[in-house]
Amino acid sequence: MFDEVFLPHMAEAYRLANWLTGNANDAEDIVQDAALRAFRGIKGFGAVNARAWSLTIVRNTAYSWLMKNRPKAVIFTEDLNPAEQQEIEHEGPQGTRIETPEEIVLFKANAKEVEQALARLPAHYREVIVLREITQLNYRDIAEVTNVPIGTVMSRLSRGRLLLLALLGDEK
Amino acid sequence: MIAFIKDNHDLMMQAYYDGELNPVSALEFERRLADDDALRTQYSRLLSLRSAVRSLRQYDVPLGLQARINSALNAEHPRQVERPRPRGWSFQALAAAAVFGAVISSFFMLTIDRRNLSQDVTRQVVASHIRSLLAPQPFDVASSDRHTVKPWFTSRLPESPPVIDLASQGFLLVGGRVDVVGHDPVATIVYRHAAHTVSLTTLRSSQSVSAQAIAGYNVRSWNDAAFTYIAVSDLPGDDLAAFERAFSAGSPAPEIK
Repeated sequence: MFDEVFLPHMAEAYRLANWLTGNANDAEDIVQDAALRAFRGIKGFGAVNARAWSLTIVRNTAYSWLMKNRPKAVIFTEDLNPAEQQEIEHEGPQGTRIETPEEIVLFKANAKEVEQALARLPAHYREVIVLREITQLNYRDIAEVTNVPIGTVMSRLSRGRLLLLALLGDEK
Repeated sequence: MIAFIKDNHDLMMQAYYDGELNPVSALEFERRLADDDALRTQYSRLLSLRSAVRSLRQYDVPLGLQARINSALNAEHPRQVERPRPRGWSFQALAAAAVFGAVISSFFMLTIDRRNLSQDVTRQVVASHIRSLLAPQPFDVASSDRHTVKPWFTSRLPESPPVIDLASQGFLLVGGRVDVVGHDPVATIVYRHAAHTVSLTTLRSSQSVSAQAIAGYNVRSWNDAAFTYIAVSDLPGDDLAAFERAFSAGSPAPEIK
């Protein structure tokens, strides 16, 4: 059962862990730890969506691992100071301004910049973007993995993307 | 798909971009996109962001990881190695067993057949529920208004079940869909209770389906004069029982239109 449920998603699990921690060695430890947890918890698997179930375990393992080993690396929006939070939550860095054509292509970015910008996003935003764009889950599965309502997934995606665009714009 | 995104252009754009809008809203959004230059500009930024993120280098699973995981698992819980069973049976015994088996099975065939049939129906109903959860939405018509759902069924099916609003009992009507059981289209009413989806499939009356759990879903069934109802959900059995009580209590004497 474990072989059918968790193992097929190993590659995605490893990528997710890598994006969440930004470190390949950590990601290995996390996936291994998550595999053990999955193995022990396989009876609790409800047979609905093996992929979301497996990724949920990896995601939770990654956060508890980070909290324990590198608490400073995990920034949730609640941890930002009020001004930063205000900026992210409400204004959205793009505001209503209309971009010029030059700005549109401005982040024909080199991959390194995109990677760094993604790494700088607060964890809540980074994880939904990684789950959507890299793992390519739909909203419902993202909601399941991150344990928040679909509406929250949608608004985090929206703000996370705007923030990412802003970070990329700033760096040029 | 979700009513509130109508109020928010940005979320609507994101939902379109992520392929999560229903076809009607998607068309509507495409019309707006064609008319609105600023919107198109924003949208094309999102598109290039996506291609930038998706073209990032992907990390491959390190070679040793799988092996490390396997050995960690084995250390924790040695797997049982299946050995081929020794075959010590004689042909005589086999032949006797075959004859005996044939006789016994013909006795039970009829009973089992009937049991299997209802078991099969239940499995199909549960499969439809699971499939609906994997689809972008668990229903074909979304409405919390029973006066929308009921006519929708009526226009598609020879017999349509009573559609009852149970919001006051905690079961929110969210829509309906048509499932296929055997070769027959049947009506399924979809309710939501907290984060749980309840599919209530209605079959022709007087089929007996026992309460059970299949693939992690609880199944509960009851009859009235017109229909057999099968409720499927990941809700605990007690909550499904409460659902049955609410539905039966709310069931009007034959609905007058």
